[in-house]
Amino acid sequence: MRALLALASLVRHPARTALAVAGIAVSSAMLLDMVMLASGMRLSFRELLDARGFQIRLSPKGTLPFDTEATVGDGRSTLETLQRHPGVLVVAPNLGTQLIAPRGDAGVTLAALGVEPTVQGDYTLLEGRHPVRGEVVASRAALAALGRAVGDTLTLASGWDTQLRLFRGTQVYRVSGIARFHYLGADQHVVALPLADVQALDDGARDDRLSSIMVRLKPNATAGDVARDLTAQLPRVSVLTTADAVAQADERLAYFRNLAFILGSVSLAVGFLLVTTLMTVSVNERIGEIAVQRALGVQATRIVQQIVAEGLVLSLVGGGLGLGLGLLTARYLESILGDFPGLPPDISFFVFQPQDALSAMGMLVVAGALAGILPSWRAARLPIAATLREEAVA
Amino acid sequence: MMRVLLLLGVQLAVLAALVTPASAQADRSFARALSTIALDERLRQDAALKVGDTITLATTPDGPGQQLVVSAFTKRTADPSEVARSEYKVRLHLGDLQALLGYGDRVDRFAVVTRDSAATERTLSAVNAQAFGFRAHLSRDIAVETGRTFAVINRFHRAIGVITILASAIFLLCIMLLRVEERRREIATLRLIGLSRRTVVQAIVVEATAIALLGAMLGTGLGWVSSLAVNRFYQGLYRTPLVFSLVTPDVVLLAVVLSAVLGVAAGWLAAQRLVQRAPLALLGR
Repeated sequence: MRALLALASLVRHPARTALAVAGIAVSSAMLLDMVMLASGMRLSFRELLDARGFQIRLSPKGTLPFDTEATVGDGRSTLETLQRHPGVLVVAPNLGTQLIAPRGDAGVTLAALGVEPTVQGDYTLLEGRHPVRGEVVASRAALAALGRAVGDTLTLASGWDTQLRLFRGTQVYRVSGIARFHYLGADQHVVALPLADVQALDDGARDDRLSSIMVRLKPNATAGDVARDLTAQLPRVSVLTTADAVAQADERLAYFRNLAFILGSVSLAVGFLLVTTLMTVSVNERIGEIAVQRALGVQATRIVQQIVAEGLVLSLVGGGLGLGLGLLTARYLESILGDFPGLPPDISFFVFQPQDALSAMGMLVVAGALAGILPSWRAARLPIAATLREEAVA
Repeated sequence: MMRVLLLLGVQLAVLAALVTPASAQADRSFARALSTIALDERLRQDAALKVGDTITLATTPDGPGQQLVVSAFTKRTADPSEVARSEYKVRLHLGDLQALLGYGDRVDRFAVVTRDSAATERTLSAVNAQAFGFRAHLSRDIAVETGRTFAVINRFHRAIGVITILASAIFLLCIMLLRVEERRREIATLRLIGLSRRTVVQAIVVEATAIALLGAMLGTGLGWVSSLAVNRFYQGLYRTPLVFSLVTPDVVLLAVVLSAVLGVAAGWLAAQRLVQRAPLALLGR
């Protein structure tokens, strides 16, 4: 009965109700987007790290993997230490550098990864096969820029000789496959080749050097325990578990989290204000009606419940519409942030999770219920006779 | 003055060297013979260092280090690309860094100041045509390239702004509708004593505009206070002089004009709904 009365009151003013619902829908859409943004990046980054099945990453002391061009100098002994640990199952080292595909005096610069193809976790093969010595796999963007296909040969140089004005370390490689690189931008020009090939460049200048190492653990090993052991045994490297890496990324992305918190709070406040205003005006308009109900014996708590129900209905309907609108705007905002240079293809800023929708709806419904309490309580406590007399005179 | 940056083909990773502050000692007589280094202001706070202290700088945690005397502390620049990075930056004499890293006579880049734009173009062409191993770029081209990240952030902020304006417009329209509906008896009486529909609409529009402008002024004040709070919070969080939120005359003007336009539109729509109905109907007769 109370719900019916609440609905009847809302239906009596369709334009007003429609506008309120629209306002709440936009507020709840923004609220949902901000809740998704606050947790989405962390979730997406964690999924990216977990997807390859490596629980620990090592990089030169004080750096994050590929955050600088620093390298670990004693690669072989580091790998031996890792392989000796009883909790370690697979060790995947890599070395990053730049290679140039000469074109006249200029060239196309490529990000190059030296990997152990059988254990690597940097790329997924889309076509062809993993490279052996003298071969590379390349991203689609790289092959498009170079006008090459699987099976073609490719001349790559390790640098430019400043004295002779010639490309140095020029070698011919065969393209063995096309790959999707997980940790590099989708539009980046990338090639991967055997680690030994990269270490041998420039007459072995990079011999025994590594940029980072990924470690897959045995099922019974705990990442935290193994990381502690390795930190003690390898003072020249930083040992990061997935949780550590996510925490580091969180620190870098704190701006978006704080922005999401501020805008989410503002959206909630706008929704609350809208329902409060609407309820206050609606109650003021119906003072006479409420006084009549009270005179007929309707309890004050029933009046409060009916008006709170109105606020709840508005919040639920507006919130429900807002969920759909929020998903659409999240997609639009994702397309904007997806243009970040060098953003890995698997990273998303807005990740939908049912609990996010429930959180947004829950906050909005609570705000809607709270918004109706004060005006309804005030109306229900008005003196009945005096109110009826004033209304009759008016 | 236009600037040209000459970039060497070889990219060195470490202009901002990684510092391992070791021991700090105040041996002034010994310090005079050593080279000097300028440290990040944050390092002074975190490691309790002061000008005149001697620190040991090494490229690896257990490697041989070089002793240097702290001669100055530098504040972080207002550079958005550095804001989320927590590493300390140090500045040392080029020769000291080359010796420490074993890089010989190599450098990352040169910054060149030219007399005017014509000289910039000439220098750019001449360097790219003749100098061995150099590639010259205009500073603005580099700024465009490095500014891509911030262009994306700007687009994101603009999109959020559009959604906020949409929410505000609906909110304002809703409020105006409620206000006008609340006064239907008063308006009916005005119509009955002879005021034209046009006059009623004009009165409501003026009122809506006044409310919108008043709200815009209050909002500007609130925005200004929020902006101060946001800057204080983020500047403290990231320990940077970067200004995160800026209330400029352009922004204020946009907010006020937009509010006025929204106010006029909301008032007109609300008034139209009311004047279309007969005065007696408004009175409930």
